[in-house]
Amino acid sequence: MTAARWRLALRLLMRDWRAGEQRILLAALVIAIAATTAISYFTDRLASGMLNSSAEFLGADLALVSSRRVDADWLDPARERDLGIAETLEFASVVLHGEQLQLASIKAVDASFPLRGSMRTSQAIYAGDSATAGVPQPGEAWAAPRLMQALGLSAGDLVEVGDTRLMISRVLTFEPGQMRDVFGVAPRLLMNMADVPATGVVQPGSRLSWQYLFAGSAAAISQYRQWVEGRLQAGQELLGVREGRRALGTALERAERFLGLAVLAAIVLAGVAVAMAVRRYTERHFDMSAMLRCLGATQGDILVIFLLQLLLIGLLAGITGCLLGWLAQWGLVILLADLLPAVSATTGLWPMLPGLATGLIILAGFALPPLMRLREVPPLRVLRRDLVPLPARSWLVYGAAMLAVVALMWRYTQNWPLTLAVLAGSVAAVLVLGLVGFVLLALGRRLNGRVGAAWRFGLNNLWRNRQSSVSQVLAFGLTLMAMAMIALVRSDLLTTWQNQLPDNAPNHFAVNILPHEVEAMRDFLDVRGVPATKIYPMVRGRLVSINAVAVREAVTKEERSNNALNRELNLTWAGRLPADNAIVDGLWWLPGDAGRALVSVESRLADRLGIRTGDVLGFTVGSEEITAEVASLRAVQWDSFRPNFYMVFPPGGVLETLPATYITSFYLPSGDKQLLVDMVRQFPAVTVLELDLIMAEVGRIFRQVTLAVEYVLLFVLLAGFAVLFAALQNSLDQRLHEGALLRALGASRRQLRAGHLAEYTALGVIAGLVAAMGTECLAWLLYREVMHLDYSFKWPVWIAAPLLGALLVGCAGYWGTRPVLQQTPLTLLRER
Amino acid sequence: MTPAEDNIIVAARGLGRRVATAAGPLEILSGIDLEINAAESVAIVGVSGSGKSTLLGLLAGLDLPSSGEVWLAGQRLNDLDEDGRARVRGQLTGFVFQSFQLLESLTALENVMLPLELSGSPGARQQARELLARVGLEARLGHYPRQLSGGEQQRVAIARAFSMQPAILFADEPTGNLDTDTGAHIIDLLFELNREHATTLILVTHDDRIAARCGRAIRLDGGRIQGAQSQ
Repeated sequence: MTAARWRLALRLLMRDWRAGEQRILLAALVIAIAATTAISYFTDRLASGMLNSSAEFLGADLALVSSRRVDADWLDPARERDLGIAETLEFASVVLHGEQLQLASIKAVDASFPLRGSMRTSQAIYAGDSATAGVPQPGEAWAAPRLMQALGLSAGDLVEVGDTRLMISRVLTFEPGQMRDVFGVAPRLLMNMADVPATGVVQPGSRLSWQYLFAGSAAAISQYRQWVEGRLQAGQELLGVREGRRALGTALERAERFLGLAVLAAIVLAGVAVAMAVRRYTERHFDMSAMLRCLGATQGDILVIFLLQLLLIGLLAGITGCLLGWLAQWGLVILLADLLPAVSATTGLWPMLPGLATGLIILAGFALPPLMRLREVPPLRVLRRDLVPLPARSWLVYGAAMLAVVALMWRYTQNWPLTLAVLAGSVAAVLVLGLVGFVLLALGRRLNGRVGAAWRFGLNNLWRNRQSSVSQVLAFGLTLMAMAMIALVRSDLLTTWQNQLPDNAPNHFAVNILPHEVEAMRDFLDVRGVPATKIYPMVRGRLVSINAVAVREAVTKEERSNNALNRELNLTWAGRLPADNAIVDGLWWLPGDAGRALVSVESRLADRLGIRTGDVLGFTVGSEEITAEVASLRAVQWDSFRPNFYMVFPPGGVLETLPATYITSFYLPSGDKQLLVDMVRQFPAVTVLELDLIMAEVGRIFRQVTLAVEYVLLFVLLAGFAVLFAALQNSLDQRLHEGALLRALGASRRQLRAGHLAEYTALGVIAGLVAAMGTECLAWLLYREVMHLDYSFKWPVWIAAPLLGALLVGCAGYWGTRPVLQQTPLTLLRER
Repeated sequence: MTPAEDNIIVAARGLGRRVATAAGPLEILSGIDLEINAAESVAIVGVSGSGKSTLLGLLAGLDLPSSGEVWLAGQRLNDLDEDGRARVRGQLTGFVFQSFQLLESLTALENVMLPLELSGSPGARQQARELLARVGLEARLGHYPRQLSGGEQQRVAIARAFSMQPAILFADEPTGNLDTDTGAHIIDLLFELNREHATTLILVTHDDRIAARCGRAIRLDGGRIQGAQSQ
């Protein structure tokens, strides 16, 4: 019985397939599954590249990260347990090559690095890389490809790091332990630990990150871990394979969520197309269902036969979609190649599961409710063609679809409040934009008397099928809107921001100025007439308590991950309120307050951590613990590019007795880089941050990421086309009939063609207008509320979006309606 | 005579069908009593709207009466649910329709195979091939309905109707969509096959010449039987 049903279902499916009945259904499913699979493969590839061999990734079984060099007796217990030990030091410094300079993230390693895994290097940039044993010899360095490019280096060239010169001997393509810099800005220079003293860069107070790597038996590692854990101080952190995994996991989760939500749009659109296609499929199978019933099939049989067909389509779509998704992920890998560390090549089959699951969920949510009607077809329909089953109950249709969407959304957000917020936002957007689309369609119809016959025909058609027209306007409107937003952010937002900075706003920071160099630095800048800000002292400390309560307990759960709590802050002291700061609560101190235990806190941080004036904050600075009462809250204009601080203390306090470095910012016309070269030569420990280069770098990352998002948007666009073709299919019978009728009444093919072109062009223009409107609103919010930038009317969007819409939708619609043109009037006579 | 009596294959007692309309309930059929013997051929005649097709639908178990009872081969259809009636239809009946009711996406051969496949009987393809050859369409097996003329389509439908060797064949205006000559050929074919398979034929028509070829005619007028005529 069941086997017979399977065979029958399969045969009917094959026969329907020849008739082209399920192509759109299949295409829509394939798009959704391919998009999901591509993202799933991509994130899995990232994850497996970095996580499968976490130890290799960390370069060790256990890493102790410390902002200070640890006492030698910390390492003795590790030696006693026969653990392998490697010591590395990371710091930022400018690297010079001739007159060229580039800020680099420098890592100095000893001969045992790495303890796990291996580095990969090549002889020349873009030459094939291979696993490389050993580390750079003293006097040599390995540079990342980006550094090689930035300085125009090739192997054998000499570079200056602080006071010393190193010869570039290899190109470094991968290094274990890079995890914290996956999306890092400065390119890597790897050097030998033995050369560090000669650079003169490392001075008390310098911003450094020491890493002590350990490897050995699991038991020994776990013992040593316990030993160290009890002794950890502020600024020190243990990273095991597990923690490495977690830190990385968070980054990956974010990437997956971000791309996932974009994919979700494609899935939902595909779902709409599936629902439309299945509705038509269902209606076209009323006769078959009635006939099968007439021939003795029970309602159960009918359901089984059509469900099996649907499952078979799902299976076919699953296989095709997974394959396409697997291919498509390469696109993402290529687009993001520069940003990602070397990614492992082998991925298994399991990333296909989410794709297949998505297919099933879409079928259950969007296809099943309309399909259930086939079960209800009365057998009497064989005698009375007008008998149709009741339409599927709308609560069932929309309820099932909504449930499917929520389930998919949750998969990507893994967070109920976010799911509900995104859902509510999407529903609101769909309602508002849908209404706008509807109004535009109605307005289009009003044009009736004033346009030519073709446009009248087209606009009337849109209005007559307005329900499906609105859904197509939405599908393309949202897609165009997403594209416009991305284009705007990529091209306009960054430039607007840069243009709104004052002309000679500081564009360089000099950090790591040593106390004895402050005067010399001031003279250096004065002599050359460089406008510079005050030189501020900077001491690194950690906020540990608020009103004697440990800070992690004192703040809300959401704020526990706040960066300000998890890293050392730059603390400073000042007698005068910095120029671009404003007191919002409390009072700035008077000269008489010098030396008192007071602190002024940046107002936004205070707000988030619930700090008020009068609260007592506890800090650890090195091994010192200090407390201070909050005297005032300050509003800080962060994008002034002057040195700014979360915490400012009055002068004359305990801070001044601790090792400090100094910071300043100054303006240098672009092109005047010779001054930087002189500065770095005179003050080797000083790190110069070139904001214009960093901005360019941020822009580069930004462009790559937006490119990746646009790539994902391609799926959304394809899904939009699926909706268009599904809607077109649904109206095709009517169109064929009308086409034949119009031909019989004397209309030429050319007239029909013009009518279709007008209809779909109008649809595209309306979608474009909806997109432009949505973009304008969203961009206004982004510019004004998020970025605090002046907003100007984005007129290019109002031209580009309708044009692009007209082009895309017009062509697709024109192509889809070709069969109508091929219809001869004779078919009218053949119709029953 | 009771419906269970031997040789009576279709029986109806006090059969009525009412539908709700905007102007109140409308009696399409009422007080229909009839008995039809196995291998008999019966025409249901009457003008348009007299309730012929409704009666056919009730007798075939495609619809349920508002009042009265129907028996098919001793089975009281009123006692069966829709799935039960479907099984009875599958086992006992075959259908030929005015509009042929071939499935557009299936070839002639596949249309004929469909009931055989549905019942899971082996050798569906061979049987269907033979039946199509019997109705003179051996050269048209792979054609789709839209590639066939009306007469050819009806011949496919007849082949399909006989594929399950039904005890009762219901035909609803089988020549209604055909020209006179073609219609006459179809009727010849229908009666030939009917004789060969000793099938009971219940045929709705408004054509008195076709009715005249049946064993007897039941004339409906305003939903009631006008008095049976035997020939």
